[in-house]
Amino acid sequence: MKKFVIAAASALFATIAAPAAMANGAQPVELQGGVKVDKLVVENGKEKHVYSDPKVVVPGDKLVFTTTYSNTGAEPVRNFVVTNPLPAAVALAPEGAEKQDVSVDGGKSWGKLGMLKVSDAAGQRSAQASDVTHVRWVLPLLAPGARGAVTYNAIVR
Amino acid sequence: MIKYGRLLGTVGAAALAVVGASPAFASGTAAGTVITNTVTVNYQVGGVNQTATGASNSFAVDRKVNMTVAEVGTTTTQVSPGQLAAVTTFTVTNNSNATLDFALAAAQQTGGAGAHSNTDTFDATNVKIYVDTNGNGTYDVGTDLEVAYLDELAADASKTVFVVADMPLGLATNDVAAVTLTATGREGGGTGSQGAALSETNTGITNEIDPNEVDTVFADAAGATDGAGDGAHSAKDDWTVLAAALSVTKLSKVVSDPVNGTSNPKAIPGATIEYCIVVANAAGSATASSVAISDPLPATVTYDGGGVFVDGSVTSGACNTDGSNTGSHAAGVVSGTISSVTAGETKTLRFRATIN
Repeated sequence: MKKFVIAAASALFATIAAPAAMANGAQPVELQGGVKVDKLVVENGKEKHVYSDPKVVVPGDKLVFTTTYSNTGAEPVRNFVVTNPLPAAVALAPEGAEKQDVSVDGGKSWGKLGMLKVSDAAGQRSAQASDVTHVRWVLPLLAPGARGAVTYNAIVR
Repeated sequence: MIKYGRLLGTVGAAALAVVGASPAFASGTAAGTVITNTVTVNYQVGGVNQTATGASNSFAVDRKVNMTVAEVGTTTTQVSPGQLAAVTTFTVTNNSNATLDFALAAAQQTGGAGAHSNTDTFDATNVKIYVDTNGNGTYDVGTDLEVAYLDELAADASKTVFVVADMPLGLATNDVAAVTLTATGREGGGTGSQGAALSETNTGITNEIDPNEVDTVFADAAGATDGAGDGAHSAKDDWTVLAAALSVTKLSKVVSDPVNGTSNPKAIPGATIEYCIVVANAAGSATASSVAISDPLPATVTYDGGGVFVDGSVTSGACNTDGSNTGSHAAGVVSGTISSVTAGETKTLRFRATIN
């Protein structure tokens, strides 16, 4: 199970921030994206997740997308919303999907997976992880120097 | 970690309107498809709305090579000894996420298990591979073309392939010829010619944004005679012989002689002999049809002109006086054709002759 580190604040990094950042047009929030291939390896009879760079990725492989953020400014950042449309070639992995804030209609409406419906040829049905088009994280406050990461698991379609 | 390329400024609603899930193909996302994870962040600093986007570095989906060869149906193909162009049918399905060629090979075996709880006992001859050119699932002579490979089979596409062979003569019922069809993935892209051999690659390039830089992964299962992950798959089928097993017996009895008449007649000159040729087909055999019988008479007897009766029957080992007079006699040879002898059936050809 992946952990969703929503706001791991640390005041120690506040001093790094440059107060003039806003005046230069630079933004106080720094983002880093990453992706790893999640392979389940059985070693001595025990299953173990091995995360590696996406050198060889084929349909069915599991991926972990991570976005790390940090507030490098001196001001608090409020209503910090990370919106992540899923690349068309991946589907949200079912494991942990029910905890995620998701959209199944291209980002128009949001909710937990169990509460969302989708329409298909057979009529309305409950949304599944593979129906998810967007994932989202909402953080009320990023103090200066705060940093953290948001993560979702996906499967290559 | 991969550094985001940061895009400043407002992101239009269009970026958020990306709806949709790509169609769920069994073989999955096409090789070379680039995956890029892009996030948009909206936030406020000092009450002022700010937007930023960032994307992880891109990578391309690699090529998963996978195929299935399967026998069509679950039973052996029944053949007759000497049968020409006996057909077994397979399907070859491309489960890869790319268009590929597939080299085809049909291999026979010497002994060993067949495909249907049987054992290989003979080899067919003149084994050829045809593709179902007109797509009707049935081998059509002259229409379905002989091939050595399947050209440009798209992802998820399937072709019917026929292995066609001649059966030798002199085979017995339940003789088996097993044949294995192997399809080996080859490079696609060149219509009309077989592509180069495939090999697994791992270029180690993390940032595979060039679709031509895809790696190749063998994801095929083990087949009848090939292993998993070897870029090939195979399936076995077999031909099983159902032969007619005819036995022929010639009976004779003295019907009358010039001295005793029909009462305890003796085989003396002038006596009439009834010859009965009994054709029996063993139980569990194939029906024998158009069984031609020819009996050259010895110089010591002469056909009596009373008719050559075909398709007669036997009761308790004795020929009945039945059948139809459809046989013939010419130049000392009696001949006739029994239309068919089914499994377990006995039929006769019957005529009379006089001792010279």
